[in-house]
Amino acid sequence: MPAVQVENLVKTYGDGTQAVKGISFKVDDGEFFGFLGPNGAGKSTTIKILTTLLRKTSGLANVAGHDIEHDPQKVRKLIGVQMQDTVIDEDLTGRENLILQGHLHQMHREELKERVNTLLKIVDLEDAADKRSAYYSGGMKKRLDLASTLVHRPKILFLDEPTTGLDPQSRATVWSYLKELNQEGITIFITTQYLEEVDRLCRRLAILDHGEIVAQGSPSELKSEIGADRITLGFENGNPEAGALKNKAKQVLSNLGGITEIVDSDEGIVIYAKNGGFLVPDIVRAFDGAGIKLASIGVSSPTLDDVFLKHTGRRIRPEEIDKSRASGMFGRRRR
Amino acid sequence: MTFISDTYYMFLRWMKKLVRNPILLFFSLFQPIIFLLLFTQLFSSFGVLLGVNYTLFATAGIVLQNAFSSAFQSGTAIVDDIKSGFLAKILATPANRASILLGRLLSDAFRVFAQSLIILLLAYGLGVFPATGILGYILILVTVAFFGLAWSGISLALGLRTKSAETVFGIAGTLTFPLLFMSTALMKPALMPTWMQNVSAYNPISFAVNAIRDLIMTGYVWNSFSQAYGVISLIAVLTLGATLYEFRKVVS
Repeated sequence: MPAVQVENLVKTYGDGTQAVKGISFKVDDGEFFGFLGPNGAGKSTTIKILTTLLRKTSGLANVAGHDIEHDPQKVRKLIGVQMQDTVIDEDLTGRENLILQGHLHQMHREELKERVNTLLKIVDLEDAADKRSAYYSGGMKKRLDLASTLVHRPKILFLDEPTTGLDPQSRATVWSYLKELNQEGITIFITTQYLEEVDRLCRRLAILDHGEIVAQGSPSELKSEIGADRITLGFENGNPEAGALKNKAKQVLSNLGGITEIVDSDEGIVIYAKNGGFLVPDIVRAFDGAGIKLASIGVSSPTLDDVFLKHTGRRIRPEEIDKSRASGMFGRRRR
Repeated sequence: MTFISDTYYMFLRWMKKLVRNPILLFFSLFQPIIFLLLFTQLFSSFGVLLGVNYTLFATAGIVLQNAFSSAFQSGTAIVDDIKSGFLAKILATPANRASILLGRLLSDAFRVFAQSLIILLLAYGLGVFPATGILGYILILVTVAFFGLAWSGISLALGLRTKSAETVFGIAGTLTFPLLFMSTALMKPALMPTWMQNVSAYNPISFAVNAIRDLIMTGYVWNSFSQAYGVISLIAVLTLGATLYEFRKVVS
């Protein structure tokens, strides 16, 4: 039985905005599933619908074997949800936050007490458990938030950008928790901007753009669809004729065989080509003959970044997203 | 039946938050206490006009003022929960939907109950003791708490609708004094201009004040008591209905 099954899911908001335009996908039980897309693609809307927080306009969605519209209570019992922002009650201690979640899931007192102790140990908050969570650091708050979604032993965990805004160390910690949880059999449904982690951990992923799924499959499948290695050419900085040089270089390249695509980039030129490694000597020779000086040349196999770029026409840059999100928080009170 | 336990846990959460932010209690108690200690002294000669001790007369109004200014804060708390995402987090659990609101409303009622008790104790120090004795104290506190519960519905509905703490605060702040002055809280209707008499006769605060004032100054007056409960119940039905309606919209 799939953990999540979605068919022709549509969400149209009251103002006529179509946030989700008839998407279909499936997440298998126990899978680590990445749900990617540029900002505004409809990821959060989809997560809100699947976690019963938002009503769908049409289509079908089953979560943990229950229809989200007819059996929302059964769905809620089986899922854990972590929102984009860190959501804890800062007036309560870490322990109280966890206990409240357990109570709202109708857990029994003894079992809950034990479970909370275990979780506090796992997320390394034992020492701070009885301090007001307002005094926690950002990373501690995030860990508490994550723990609070696990109190009732959910079968499926929905995570909306769980590591955005965290420092690299806290980020790594969260990812390693998620990996462990998945190994224990919990299905993970995650949206994130960190493609390297997606590549490493997600068994399958879907890319959403403008409310539609534009690609889905395993990371290696999607990368091999690119069908080419990436060769990055860098030119000397400060060359007054950089533009002319680039054009000349492109002309030279267009005479070489085996190149799939030539793209301008900030650093210089990016070439997609099959068996890129073998092409490098040819490029160097051709440039030498044409009198073009190269500052750098690099070959890499395609990454999810390339996959994302191919399907959405945009790159994901987590740092920038962090910044835009931070400025978007202006004037909002966090509690 | 998860309704009762969920309500209890939500209530408990709000009580903890309140106790850990004593500044909130200070702010909502400050004004009524100033009224009790300074206003009644400043205007003690009103008592000559009214033919009674003015502190004794005004205590009912001050207790009520405390109730509705505290209850008005309820909406800002729910706005905080919406903005922080905490409401969504609770909604993603199987917690009973009505309990989420009721827990808050009961905490408002309890808070008003406790604050009113403090004010009544201070008033006792100034020589105010209800004609109805200890039972009167209990009836006063229960009536004020019920009023607070009904009144906090207005603020909750506003908060859910506007999702802006500033708006809730602004509306509450603007309404407090006109509602108070155009009621029987601080003056007998007979001594008001005619138009104000007419307004105060329909002001819901007047009904609650009259019932409490009777308990303090006269004794058990069934008429004012039943009228007060009728009016407060009506407010409760209206404001809680509006709150539920707005809550449904937030939830979908």
